[in-house]
Amino acid sequence: MNAHIHKPALLLASLLSLGAVHAIAATAPASAASAAEVQRGHYLALAGDCEACHTAPGGKPFAGELPVATPIGSIVSTNITPSRSDGIGGYTLQQFSDAVRKGVRSDGKNLYPAMPYTAYAQLDDADVRALYAYFMHGVQSVDRRPPPTRLPFPFNIRASMAFWNLLFLDHKPFAPDPKQSAEWNRGAYLVRGLTHCGTCHTPRNFFMAEQSSRFLSGASLGTWFAANITPDPNSGIGNWGDQDIVQYLQRGSAPGKGQAAGPMAEAVDHSLRHLTGADLDAIALYLKSIPARRDPNITRAADSWGGSYADLASIRGKPLPKKPDQMTGLQLYDAYCATCHQDRGQGSFDGGLPPLFHNTATGRRNTDNLVMVMLDGIAWRTDGSGVRMPAFAQELSDRQVATLGDYLTQHFGDPAATVTVDQVRMLRAGGPSSNLVLLARIGLAVAIVILITIIVAIVWALLRRRRALPSH
Amino acid sequence: MAAPSSAEVVVIGSGICGALAAWRLAQQGLSVLILEAGPRIERARIVAAFRNSPYKSDWMSPYPFSPWAPQPDFTPKDNGYLIQAGPYRYPAEYIRVVGGTTWHWAAQAWRLMPNDVRIKTLYGVGVDWPITYDELDAWYQDAEEILGVAGADNTGSPRKHPFPMQPVAEPWSMRRFRERLAPAYPVVANTVARNSRSYGGRPACVGNNSCQPICPVNAQYLGINAVESAEAAGAKVVPNAVVYRIEPDAKGRIAAVHYYDPDKKSYRVTGKEFILAANGIESPKLLLLSATDKYPNGLANSSGMVGRNLMDHPSSSLTFYADEEVWLGRGPQSPSSINTMRDGAFRSQHAAYRLDFTNISQVLSVTEALIAEGVYGTEFEKQLRWRAARQVNVKNVLEVLPHPENRITLASEKDALGIPKPEAHYLIDDYTRRGADVSKKDFAKIAQLMGGTGLRYSPEGQFANNQHITGTLGMGSDPAKFVTDGFGRTHDHENLFCCGTGVMPTAATMNSTLTAVALALRTADHMHPAKSSAAAARAESPP
Repeated sequence: MNAHIHKPALLLASLLSLGAVHAIAATAPASAASAAEVQRGHYLALAGDCEACHTAPGGKPFAGELPVATPIGSIVSTNITPSRSDGIGGYTLQQFSDAVRKGVRSDGKNLYPAMPYTAYAQLDDADVRALYAYFMHGVQSVDRRPPPTRLPFPFNIRASMAFWNLLFLDHKPFAPDPKQSAEWNRGAYLVRGLTHCGTCHTPRNFFMAEQSSRFLSGASLGTWFAANITPDPNSGIGNWGDQDIVQYLQRGSAPGKGQAAGPMAEAVDHSLRHLTGADLDAIALYLKSIPARRDPNITRAADSWGGSYADLASIRGKPLPKKPDQMTGLQLYDAYCATCHQDRGQGSFDGGLPPLFHNTATGRRNTDNLVMVMLDGIAWRTDGSGVRMPAFAQELSDRQVATLGDYLTQHFGDPAATVTVDQVRMLRAGGPSSNLVLLARIGLAVAIVILITIIVAIVWALLRRRRALPSH
Repeated sequence: MAAPSSAEVVVIGSGICGALAAWRLAQQGLSVLILEAGPRIERARIVAAFRNSPYKSDWMSPYPFSPWAPQPDFTPKDNGYLIQAGPYRYPAEYIRVVGGTTWHWAAQAWRLMPNDVRIKTLYGVGVDWPITYDELDAWYQDAEEILGVAGADNTGSPRKHPFPMQPVAEPWSMRRFRERLAPAYPVVANTVARNSRSYGGRPACVGNNSCQPICPVNAQYLGINAVESAEAAGAKVVPNAVVYRIEPDAKGRIAAVHYYDPDKKSYRVTGKEFILAANGIESPKLLLLSATDKYPNGLANSSGMVGRNLMDHPSSSLTFYADEEVWLGRGPQSPSSINTMRDGAFRSQHAAYRLDFTNISQVLSVTEALIAEGVYGTEFEKQLRWRAARQVNVKNVLEVLPHPENRITLASEKDALGIPKPEAHYLIDDYTRRGADVSKKDFAKIAQLMGGTGLRYSPEGQFANNQHITGTLGMGSDPAKFVTDGFGRTHDHENLFCCGTGVMPTAATMNSTLTAVALALRTADHMHPAKSSAAAARAESPP
């Protein structure tokens, strides 16, 4: 049951096996890749959501150049088109496999784990071959080199990632669990591998590695909060039916549950909605089977709170305050929300505009996503729906977002959930500032001090010994 | 931070025309300063004010009134800003805020018809335009792609490229009109700047039916969207800057403009080029206000035509009950119309017109009528439901010909800053009234085809106004007869351009905004030819 979780033993095993080269068997030269294999590779690339990072908005597919914000600085995605000069056109299958599954470039240097190779390491050889066939033959070559990633010291030393990999990379591809059904194994393979759900939904440790013991139990991405998607009925999605999960992954919304926004909307838009019904069913089945992680403070499911509520008549005929920051939650609701979510928070008759009660957006104790969706709105780039919810960052002040957020949780969601002005200010600024660079530098400094101390001690000891020797 | 006191291009007025011209020029790297008399407002505050207003059908009521930038308002009573000199009332309303009057338009974004620009030649009435429909086509397309316009293909206005999107879904009421009036009358989707899908970073229409006075979700393109684009391109906007004088130099070029802040402190702004885009009433007012010893009749007025040839679109209408439930009020307020009377040989005799169906919810007007009739109790509820489901309205949108005596002048009364108020002199001629008479036959036929009962024609000889303020800065090639040339440049001042509905020398039968926007973009492109202007490219190479 827990086989999918990186146990310390597995980690050790991977450390021990590091020396051995895990070679991929090339069954046929790349040029002979069949159309079917290229097509399958395309599907796998969609499932892996390669485009999310490797295509910049308005840029050519897979030409890279998207700066991916991380706590240690901005990592610029690379060109993974088959351009020989600027992309991966010169990669052999083995080099491609090493990049995808081990995080090692063709020149032997390490990738940063912003590339989810710790998840892709689960991929089997056939899928890596298909992906290789797709990237070599199904993608338009773009001769354009993105600017290099420049991280601050000490992270600019890519070799440091080799050490990180020693600790945190499990090299073994996915091993099916013979006790489980084929569907379960398919779901496990996708979730732990290609669709790399854990990249966002699993909390990370001090070294920014996923904590396997808390697999998919929810994590803050700095701004958006990736929910607990373990099967706990209160803290996770245990009260979601399989079809709720499938519909959510297909359309970005499950009526009476919640809507995808922020990075999850991107994941559904670019990737998950393209998966076959069978694969989505398998994902749902697997997610329902993993160990439930419970937050003891959460006593009700996020989507079980609230109900229809209206008090608009109480503000009719009353002038708005001169200062926008003095508007009440109800006045803000009337001005900004009621147009679509309607007078009682009930949404539109067909659910196209969702109700605000029985909605994870208002029912989650962590209100970061509620703030983020008010600031950023919801926009889908590829499915044609475009602006699903307008962004209000330009219109609402920090105080207004806090007032409105509190009104929404009070009347439609978890009344214990609150929004503070400081929280809004922090999220608007892009999340908490990270101390990671500072900590790494302090760690290095301490290490150097310790090293010098040791050297001094040794020298001192040697000198003392010498002094202790009888003089000539 | 102090407002800039100089820019390469100074734009007076931040409405959709001025802001889009500013955007176009700012995109070319020019420094652009937009001076707006009114304050900056925020959509959601207007939405809240509208919901709280007891005057739901007064589309001015949610908009703030600024004593330093007064705007005409006629509900619940005339606020006395736009002085009525008669003989016919001209109660035009406009909004003096950043973004201008499109804040409360219905997003009707019509092209002219090709013959509209040649009615003197073809029908012996009005004047011809100095440009052809074909010349304007590329800028129409540009405007439509910026605004996000959709419409039917068979409205009489030919196009070389498709609309950027499909129309918003046809409301049930309009579908019933279309089905029941065919084949006598083809009812087609109006040409509107309203998103049927996410476009330009704005969402699709969700059918609030409050396009006027405010689209609550930013689904229809507004002047404020143009302002935001202009600002993103580098233009600066100074709100609450009431321009009261345009200053010419010794050579007749414009050297500067002067504006008051709300405390009547005066500022002078210099520039190389100036765009006057303060609407068809405030723009001529400003030119007349700027009279000097050398220009005693006002600037740009050697022809004496500044403020003259005021036109609009008067409407008469028929309200009746259809014999089935159509439930006006779902979807946009003005989705469909009949366009077969926009052009024809009859134009030598009477006004052309469009026939437009309202889709505004009838609940309020029916309620008011029932209360006035003294109906109450269960009978009230029964009647309200019956009438609100069946009451419909069709109106004409009549062409008005240019007459020099229809005009805007300076009133003797002054506003809070001591600036003379505008005064409207207006008369609806027999040409237009004959058009109204002809359209009454259409009204009757439409009512008959819809099984209409309870027919209520608008009072004979009385017309509602449509706030399509046109003609007061008319363009034409003869400097003795027209204020501006074919590119909107004033004949008298080389570096003073006019953008807005005022430059249109005739009013035709369509809402004037899209034509004014296309002309404004064309003016900007003429001032500084864009290297990569899509419109310019299209104009040169037909598809």
